[in-house]
Amino acid sequence: MSSRSVNYTSSPLLASKTPVWRSKFIVAAVALGFVGLAARAAYVQVVGNEFFQRQGEVRFARTLELPANRGRILDRNGLILASSVPAASIWAIPEDVENDKPEVKAKLKELARLLEMPLPALNAKLADEDKTFVWIKRQLDWDVGQKIAALNIKGIYQRKEYKRQYPEGEAAAHVVGFTDVEDHGQEGMELAFDKDLAGKPGSRRVIKDRLGRVVEGVGAEVPPVDGKDMQLSIDSKVQFFAYQKLRDTVAAHKAKAGSVVVLDAHTGEVLALANYPSYDPGNRRNLTGEQLRNRALTDVFEPGSTMKPITIGMALELGRVRHDTVIDTTPGRFAIGGFNISDTHNYGVLTVDGVIQKSSNVGALKVAQRMSPQEMWNVHTALGYGQKPQIAFPGAASGRLRPWKNWKPVEQATMSYGYGLSASLFQMARSYTVFSNDGMVIPATMLKASGSPVGTPVFSPKTASQVRHMLWLAAGPGGTGQKAQTVGYSIGGKSGTARKQVGKSYAAGKYRAWFTGMAPIDKPRIIVAVMIDEPSAGSYYGGTVAGPVFGEVVQQTLRMMGVAPDMAVKPQIVANAVEEPL
Amino acid sequence: MTRISAMLLVAVMASALYLVHTQYESRRLFTELDRAVAQARQLDTEHQRLQVEKRAQATPLRVERLARDRLHMRSATPAITQYVTDDGSPVVSAAAAGGRP
Repeated sequence: MSSRSVNYTSSPLLASKTPVWRSKFIVAAVALGFVGLAARAAYVQVVGNEFFQRQGEVRFARTLELPANRGRILDRNGLILASSVPAASIWAIPEDVENDKPEVKAKLKELARLLEMPLPALNAKLADEDKTFVWIKRQLDWDVGQKIAALNIKGIYQRKEYKRQYPEGEAAAHVVGFTDVEDHGQEGMELAFDKDLAGKPGSRRVIKDRLGRVVEGVGAEVPPVDGKDMQLSIDSKVQFFAYQKLRDTVAAHKAKAGSVVVLDAHTGEVLALANYPSYDPGNRRNLTGEQLRNRALTDVFEPGSTMKPITIGMALELGRVRHDTVIDTTPGRFAIGGFNISDTHNYGVLTVDGVIQKSSNVGALKVAQRMSPQEMWNVHTALGYGQKPQIAFPGAASGRLRPWKNWKPVEQATMSYGYGLSASLFQMARSYTVFSNDGMVIPATMLKASGSPVGTPVFSPKTASQVRHMLWLAAGPGGTGQKAQTVGYSIGGKSGTARKQVGKSYAAGKYRAWFTGMAPIDKPRIIVAVMIDEPSAGSYYGGTVAGPVFGEVVQQTLRMMGVAPDMAVKPQIVANAVEEPL
Repeated sequence: MTRISAMLLVAVMASALYLVHTQYESRRLFTELDRAVAQARQLDTEHQRLQVEKRAQATPLRVERLARDRLHMRSATPAITQYVTDDGSPVVSAAAAGGRP
């Protein structure tokens, strides 16, 4: 078969009937499509990469906060004074609560009962439907929260929080303090050591699946750092006992308030620091400033007769008197700078020992006149008067001690028996460490001490021992502090009584009574200071009002510390109240 | 040549499947660990809560009240206490009993 050969490209059968530009157009369009995709890919992968990565992560990655526990506050024996426990805080979305349905109404009634909240109050909280978040009640007990969760009311939710528990309650309230609802310290040690106690919350990134389950951790986890436990120097048994005795005494004498400080005589550790009136740190509704005040540290007053042993100590140390130097206090009055300083009785001729024992104002000022104001001021300052106590406690008062250059003779005289300067009970207790510690004054601490403290020598051991003997005499027969006596332990201490200063003058009929001392007197283990504010049922003398509290606190504390008695046990002191000068 | 390719293909497939399995296993273990950690934490807080509760049951106030009221105990005083020293010497020395500090 012969045939004309036809070129494939020029075959008329294959000749396109459509114009060439159309196919070119399609090719171009497809190419453009690919270019578009490539550009988009480049944009997603390179230019906008960060944005898309983030958007993706937002949809499945979550940062979880890992809460840190607040540290506990422990007493010296490791018993808990404050600890955090989980608590349930109830919140609601008012809009979602279907409180018109009868079964929901019944559940709300049950809820109100669990919350210990009147039903109308609960309904009022749920009434505002514009709000999307309302706290119903915060920091409920954990098991109450579980019961509420079991009710399963729509629109009522709960969140886990922590709240502080204070097992010692009001006995240690002023020392321990409390935290607010956000777990920040507000008072006492909770405030003073807030930084150490507060933990640092950690965090971690996780990937969650559609059902909200954690499937994978991303990156490094930041572990939470729990707050440090603080071990205080407080002995909770001593603290409780001191508080109990104080409370009973304040009630018995119809007094306004009172404080007790117990110090370890060797280490300066505060074994107990109690005030009355107090409060329950777990329930702070209707709290008044009166209850909140840590009087032992914040209230200053003129130390009165408790200063006399210090005055005598200075004079002994400087060699201006000996313990048996004779001081003539006749006629029991002394005129100086237009003022009359008097004793309650004319004690006649006294030895220096007798000045302390009888608490003679005239005797003390005559001893003080053998010293210069600067000499006295130096010792006062060394003992911490007029100085802010070196103690980590918010609001500790420094008291007042005027510079010696401005002292007039009458001021030097009144200062010898404790007027014209002021100090807190805590400062007084601490200044007595100079006698208990062989002439070294030691810093007081609220934290359990590990080593022995570094003391500052102020007196010689001999002076300290001589003054201790005088304190022993003052608490013995013929002294002002006989009611402070204990069974089995020898004590020494000085009582004080003062009219309260109201404004610029002294108020009539308002007194403050206190007693500061130590036991056992030859080798003191503890220093106890007691102050009763405005005793108004009969006696108001330091020896008769504060003395018995001192005695009982000493007795119990030494027994708890396991100190053997140093006196033959027989009731040997017949207490005859000896009046003391104001 | 083809045989090697086929073998490699099988190896790749096996490895891929194993990877999927490992990933699954790791997520499963992770959730388990997570749950265990959460439980540990919960037990820890529970422990703390119970400790506080135990302490609240043993406060000096409660102990003293129970001892006094229910057990009819009274506080020890030196008058009814026998003191013992290591070397058998009397606790109250003559000088101290005499009263001079």
